[in-house]
Amino acid sequence: MAMELHHTFTVDAPPEATWALLTDLEQVGGCFPGATVTSATETEFTGNVKVKLGPIGVTYQGEGRFVERDDEAHRAVIEGLGKGLRGLGNASAKVVLQLEPEGSGTKADVATSLNITGKPAQFGRGVMQTVSDKLLGQFVECIEGKLTP
Amino acid sequence: MTAVDDRPQAASTHEVGRDRRRKEDQRLITGRTKWTDNLVLPGMLHLAMVRSPLAHARITGIDATAAREAPGVIAVLTGEDVKDLQGSLPCAWPITEDQKAPPHPAIAVDRVAFSGEVVAVVAARSSAAARDAAELVDVDYEDLPAALELRASAQDETLAHPDLGTNRSATWVFDSAEAGTGSDVEDAIAEADVVVEREFRQQRLIPAFMEPRSTVVDPTGEQFVMWSATQVPHILRLMLAMTLGVDEGKIRVIAPDVGGGFGGKLQVTPEEIITFLVARHTGKPCKWTETRSESLLSAHHGRDQWQKLTLAAKADGTVTGLKVELLADMGAYLGLVTPGVPILGAFMYNSIYKFPAYHFSCTNVFTNKTWTDAYRGAGRPEATFAIERIMDELALELGRDPMEVREQNWITHEEFPFTTVCGLEYDSGNYEAATERAKELFGYDELRAEQQRRRESGDRVQLGLGISTFTEMCGLAPSRVLGSLNYGAGGWEHASVRMLPTGKVEVITGSSAHGQGHETAWSQIVADQLGVPFEDVEVLHGDTQISHKGLDTYGSRSLVVGGQAVINAAKKVIEKAKPLAAYQLEANVDDLEFSDGKFTVKGAGADQEGVGLAGLALAVFAAHDLPDGMEPSLDADATFDPVNFSFPHGTHLCAMEVDTETGATTMRSYVCVDDIGNVVNPLIVEGQVHGGLVQGIAQALWEEAVYDDQGTLVSGSFVDYTLPTTADTITFVTDRTTSPATSNDLGVKGVGEAGCIASTPAVVNAVLDAIRQFGVKDIVMPCTPERVWRAIQDGTAGAMSETAGAAAGHFAEGEPNQDPPGTGAAPAAGTTQEGGQA
Repeated sequence: MAMELHHTFTVDAPPEATWALLTDLEQVGGCFPGATVTSATETEFTGNVKVKLGPIGVTYQGEGRFVERDDEAHRAVIEGLGKGLRGLGNASAKVVLQLEPEGSGTKADVATSLNITGKPAQFGRGVMQTVSDKLLGQFVECIEGKLTP
Repeated sequence: MTAVDDRPQAASTHEVGRDRRRKEDQRLITGRTKWTDNLVLPGMLHLAMVRSPLAHARITGIDATAAREAPGVIAVLTGEDVKDLQGSLPCAWPITEDQKAPPHPAIAVDRVAFSGEVVAVVAARSSAAARDAAELVDVDYEDLPAALELRASAQDETLAHPDLGTNRSATWVFDSAEAGTGSDVEDAIAEADVVVEREFRQQRLIPAFMEPRSTVVDPTGEQFVMWSATQVPHILRLMLAMTLGVDEGKIRVIAPDVGGGFGGKLQVTPEEIITFLVARHTGKPCKWTETRSESLLSAHHGRDQWQKLTLAAKADGTVTGLKVELLADMGAYLGLVTPGVPILGAFMYNSIYKFPAYHFSCTNVFTNKTWTDAYRGAGRPEATFAIERIMDELALELGRDPMEVREQNWITHEEFPFTTVCGLEYDSGNYEAATERAKELFGYDELRAEQQRRRESGDRVQLGLGISTFTEMCGLAPSRVLGSLNYGAGGWEHASVRMLPTGKVEVITGSSAHGQGHETAWSQIVADQLGVPFEDVEVLHGDTQISHKGLDTYGSRSLVVGGQAVINAAKKVIEKAKPLAAYQLEANVDDLEFSDGKFTVKGAGADQEGVGLAGLALAVFAAHDLPDGMEPSLDADATFDPVNFSFPHGTHLCAMEVDTETGATTMRSYVCVDDIGNVVNPLIVEGQVHGGLVQGIAQALWEEAVYDDQGTLVSGSFVDYTLPTTADTITFVTDRTTSPATSNDLGVKGVGEAGCIASTPAVVNAVLDAIRQFGVKDIVMPCTPERVWRAIQDGTAGAMSETAGAAAGHFAEGEPNQDPPGTGAAPAAGTTQEGGQA
């Protein structure tokens, strides 16, 4: 199953600070619900993420890297590839992140192309949008917590 | 009723024709019986399969360490472990000399070609332990592009098997001009007044039998014993021997009670091979039973074709030619009869109509999906659907009643036996009689009038009438014909009749019942043949050590082929008993006659006692006083090879109501009048017809195997694969007309697939008939409310009449958000559109 997810959120912090945080893979990973970053460099990270999609619970183990990163324009493209444990199929994602100033804060635009195979695709397709919206909500909350002292 | 059966009656018929309750049902219904999964053997291990979640990928590594160390695990085998032992799964029907096919491993070795393919197997002390450990097998895959959509795959856009170099497996052609059975179809098309060309889609279906597949293999003892939920124990035994290189004599296959198959268990499965291999590897009895998800995902699927038909006709409606071009989706591999399934339909597109010219071609195409194979009707439902849909289209083109156009073109009852443009000889039939009865039961004219009223009043709920005047070829099959089609086996059937000393009778049949009620029907037949009570007949089947020879059950063959073998064996018993009867009666053999289980002397009066078969059986058992040279046995075997197919036919009429606002469809009435020749047990026939109807209606309205763009089966549970229940159906009106078959003693024709073959086009024709006035030309099956609604929307983008002024205030000019006049206007009804190609 291939799907496109689109989210925007705003945080009450200037673009530079937001960019610094969002490109710190270890910190960002820590904010994603269910995710653990096991190692991270400037450009790459490995880790795992546990998600529950309706009746299916799946842990993806994988790696990701910056394919593009423009610190001036605040635009980044990240690719990730995860293998579902227990034979549950693979997931791959391409995330395009773009930050824009908005008032005194920052508006972040996140476009994700997601490919999922196996049981999560079979049973999870009906709930994918809802689940991702919810996860992003928690993610933003965490990011905001880190940006506003 | 409609034809005279002037052949002599072989025996008095007390049992044949009775609606006997099925003798097997008590044990089946109460569960006091043996299904494969009920078997428990000492020291038995349980298997769980590790399956690929990807449609097409290279296997780059398998780490089974954690699985091997898990509690209760005895063995984990991968493709690498068995690659030199597993052989290649058999395909018994290579349709052309140059057919291309990849090897078909039971366990994938270095590449998987569909989502659900087995990559490893775990054997453990319990089923739960095996499943838990299967999840610990860590498989690394490297994704490969997957060939998924049939038409794109036929163009080789992506290769399902890169080593083959193409997705096209074979192209099979029949041409009536080349075969000398008819004229040239291209000439017919060139000279036609009317040419109707349509393309239809046969969606992919899943057989969805009730009992999931299960296999047990016991490797202890002199023979390997395999119990399997299969339709084909005899074929399975032979194929196991040929695939694994084990002596056939060292393999015994048992199909205990089997809970349905519909063609879905006409297969030699990877899991059967794997269970055998693991049992041999561990030296322990092993059992594998699938989950419903595994069944939907990996048991073979059915249908899945694109059908392009070109029909040529004269202006007066007389058909002059038919050209059929098919693309058939094989899925990832060729199973037992995969490539032959569309070919079984090749001779049926002309159906009951007198086409003078015919051309059929089918290209079989590989994709990275579960492989397809036989599913109830196998090729003939596809043919019937297409021809019955296009006959409606022809009527539409001519502006005539669809029944009238059919009647103009069908074979009339005086014309039987009739040799078709495919060279088949239809032995008997009466399409007029079946149609007349069906129209009467349906109230055809009255419903047409109601349809007209509803159209005129603009009723929200519109009514449509659908017709299917079908025939099919079944009773598979004359061995010579199968040989000419390059099929790997014959089509005969075997039976034995054993006379026990107590006068009871054992019947051994090579047919392998899996819900059809053979035990009852065969008992009725033998009771009449031998004049013994129904209760005294015991029918044995499904164990290759008891029934050592047979070709099993599929293609509506059991009664017309297997039943005839039983009759032939019973007749031999009577012949063998005759010398002893003559000896006891002190009469000449030629002066004896046999009826009601008794030999009597011709002309010796009605009050003579005669000698009964039971008494003779006891005398033979004792063998104290037999005629000189007589072998002390009355038992007899027979193998029957049919000379022709059986051609049941019938007229099915369906009335559908369509809610034009929601697209919801409701079946109002369904009438079918089938001509299946004489009937052994009307109750069993009724069951077959009802079940078949529901399966065919389900294709029209509900069922579809859906894959996503990654090749994941998303309709892999009964939540998404919408199999109907009785709550979804209505009470059917069924009746029969009778034109006895001339190809067997009973005058019977196969009925196992008839309902499923006939009903689909009747329903779709009815749905379309209800909403054609909206400009709808086709709806791709299944006709779900969404597709019907979209078809209506796409057809007219609105209602067929102007919205009443008072209700349309918000559309008035000057109201906010109104498009400029004209841009949103509805196109006129009849505008060409891609109606409902959802």
